[in-house]
Amino acid sequence: MGGRRHAGPRAAAVPRVLAWGLVVALPLLFLGVFFAWPVVSLVGRGFLDDVGRADLTGLEQVLGSARTWRLVWATLSQAAVGSVASVALGLPVAYLLYRTRFRGRTLLRGVVTVPFVLPTVVVGVAFQALFRPGGLLGFLELQETFTAVVVSLVFFNVSVVVRTVGGLWERLDPRAEQAARALGASPARAFRTVTLPALTPAVASAAAVVFLFCATAFGVVMVLGGPGYNTVETEIFRRTTQFLDLRTAAVLSILQLVVVALALLAAGRARASRERALHLEHQDRAAHPWSVRNAADVGCAVTTLLVVGGLIILPLAGLVGRSFRNPDGSWGLHNYRALGTTGHRNALVVTVWEALATSLRTAATATLIAVVVGGLVALVLSRRPRRRALRRATSVLDAVVMLPLGVSAVTVGFGFLITLDRPLGLAIDLRTSGLLVPIAQAVVAVPLVVRTVLPVLRAIDPRLREAAAVLGATPGRVLRDVDLPIALRSLGLAIGFAFAVSLGEFGATAFLARPDLATLPVVIFRLIGRPGAENYGMALAASVILAVLTAAVMMLAEQLRGDRASGAAGGEF
Amino acid sequence: MGAPLDGAGLAVRGAVVRYGSGEGGTTAVDRVDLDVADGEILALLGPSGCGKSSLLRAVAGLEPLSAGTVSFAGADLDGVPVHRRGFGLLFQDGQLFPHRDVARNVAYGLETARLPRVERAGRVRELLDVVGLGGYAQRPVATLSGGERQRVALARALAPRPRLLLLDEPFSALDRALRERLAVEVRDILKATGTTAVFVTHDHDEAFTVADRVGVMSAGRLLQVAPPEALWRAPSTRTVAEFLGYQAFLPRERGRWLAVGPAGLRVVPAAAADDVADTWAATVQASAFRRGRTEVTVDVDLGQGAWTLVALLDGVVPALAHGAAVRVGLDLSGCAVVGD
Repeated sequence: MGGRRHAGPRAAAVPRVLAWGLVVALPLLFLGVFFAWPVVSLVGRGFLDDVGRADLTGLEQVLGSARTWRLVWATLSQAAVGSVASVALGLPVAYLLYRTRFRGRTLLRGVVTVPFVLPTVVVGVAFQALFRPGGLLGFLELQETFTAVVVSLVFFNVSVVVRTVGGLWERLDPRAEQAARALGASPARAFRTVTLPALTPAVASAAAVVFLFCATAFGVVMVLGGPGYNTVETEIFRRTTQFLDLRTAAVLSILQLVVVALALLAAGRARASRERALHLEHQDRAAHPWSVRNAADVGCAVTTLLVVGGLIILPLAGLVGRSFRNPDGSWGLHNYRALGTTGHRNALVVTVWEALATSLRTAATATLIAVVVGGLVALVLSRRPRRRALRRATSVLDAVVMLPLGVSAVTVGFGFLITLDRPLGLAIDLRTSGLLVPIAQAVVAVPLVVRTVLPVLRAIDPRLREAAAVLGATPGRVLRDVDLPIALRSLGLAIGFAFAVSLGEFGATAFLARPDLATLPVVIFRLIGRPGAENYGMALAASVILAVLTAAVMMLAEQLRGDRASGAAGGEF
Repeated sequence: MGAPLDGAGLAVRGAVVRYGSGEGGTTAVDRVDLDVADGEILALLGPSGCGKSSLLRAVAGLEPLSAGTVSFAGADLDGVPVHRRGFGLLFQDGQLFPHRDVARNVAYGLETARLPRVERAGRVRELLDVVGLGGYAQRPVATLSGGERQRVALARALAPRPRLLLLDEPFSALDRALRERLAVEVRDILKATGTTAVFVTHDHDEAFTVADRVGVMSAGRLLQVAPPEALWRAPSTRTVAEFLGYQAFLPRERGRWLAVGPAGLRVVPAAAADDVADTWAATVQASAFRRGRTEVTVDVDLGQGAWTLVALLDGVVPALAHGAAVRVGLDLSGCAVVGD
């Protein structure tokens, strides 16, 4: 781009600049209208009164209230305990799955990945089934407690730690540790002084991301915490939908943004040092066969069994089992048959099957938008322009597109409600068009698409493009023949992620979905909020359907990903 | 210097390549003039960072020139983008397209040239035979060894019959034996196909094996261009001689130097001491037996203070002990007179 003295006749440079301009403008416009504008308007609500004058009384009121700080404290402690536990449990699992070899390792890696893509509402329902009186772990009396919420958050986030840390660990050159051993260090000392420092960037990056997910968790908290348990995120939702107290909700959203920005900053720092630390061994050369004589191997195997068996399989198996329990206590398919109804006393406006169809349609639209926008962003970010100003601009864009990952979905949904009645002054009320839900889901999915595709594009040696150009390929043809085929490998995974995230999206969708166009997660949440064993049974069955659907999508995506041996196709997650 | 006066071949005039701008920028290529005649192979030899790769990339159109011109067959290439220059480029590590098999890699330049499918297949077969990979057409590139990858890359670069082939350290990632064999093969292939080529390397042996003429670069400047023997016999300056491995410089009149080459100093057996004009007393530091002769590292004062130099001793002789006293003399056939 730009600055090449003899890179082409001026006439050819103009369409090229135009083309790149479009490639940059489209995602910026999308994120500007559907992310920045709603969020900024929302923030503005906290500082302005009804007629648009600066007014800080709302801010003072909310920040002066003890309840606010209780909420902040609850949110921070939930996030802190959740991330510490996720890292503590994730490290041994990462060691076992990425540093040792044994039969069934691939299967086990798959099982550990499942929680990350499961819809939050499903996980909430699964743990609720476990902890409620009469449930498998009902005797622990954990229903609607801090512990129950944290346990379910750890369920989600252990897989983030395992994948992020394991991805680095499996490529760490074992010879550094061997050198330390040869110099007289005990295994524990070698781990502490050599391996752990090398892993620190990945651990820090994972911890920051997990902290973020835990601080902004919505679905599980709503389902598991019950009405008495509140965090900043759920309070925003309740203030808006139940009390119509937009000012308080706006101030809380700002508080949330501050926390999120700090965590993202920490994650960005850690990621930068991680990208510097890369260029390691080839995958799997560093792994050794699992041995019963190796204390570390045995210890990590025991931890992994506990995590996989107790934390992952138990609640999911419990959910599936309970879904076959008929409301009268006998076993059978009653709950599944009821999915064609609108529930006991018409708890729903639509049947669950209709909601499923809506979910699939919505997720497909959202995926299309997210893949186009995210793909364009990744394309732009993968370029290394010669001009310093352009390079700086791309790194700013890099940070900006990650924001939706951190900004709570509830904030986005809420922002949509207050801005998109007349988008850009146009007289189309997007709120009633039915397009709003897929757009909101796409906003949430874009960062995942970027993080999956970008590392693959960045890993392409620029000289590969040069080789094509020297062989007579025009710049457009280089994109088609080099970038596209290589990016396609990760695109399958990106599509899968985007689809799975859209299917399970609850925070923004809960705000925006019209009752007649409710998605599956919204319907499930509504069902468990209604009395009656009939409705609860339907919620369980619908959760199983949603979980199976999501898992199937992800499995298909992993297949589409193709040549996994090439390594680069993994992306960040 | 064998300049193509008729306008055939490559002509570089006053080429400057700069990275960065203003004070912090560096000049990688500094006012270089270079001509490569039609069908000629020219090697650019220099230490890493001397600007030889930047010059190559500027010729290819991958690096913008800050000043000067590059022209081919009499036509200025300013404003002609990379893909319209009709040149070939061979990278150090091949840069094969990972998602294409061997045949489709070789076919790539033919596809962009819109050659009909049938001719394409024929040409690919022909080129794979030329590089000795006849049965490899359907192989995925990930299964190839380093040497095989470079052969495929060479076939890919040659397939569209480039007007000029640029080779950027094409063998330096390979092991020594393979490197030496491929250097000979590549010269034969380039000569057989009549390809004009510029070959960048930091390895002397490689440059002298492959090239018709060798250009020595240092700190962005092209110091001398000459056929291999002429370059060895008469390095134009002390810097060129130093880079070629001349080990000592004795002052001569009018600012000129007598450069002592790697084979310019000999241990003089006591019996023959009278036959050699000038000899000096030297102390043995170490001796090593290499390729049928003995290389003796000695401390000697040739009138310029004590230097540590290598003197040759023909034939198989008992190793000289550390500290032994010997006499050394110049072998003028291994020396050259150079300017400053």
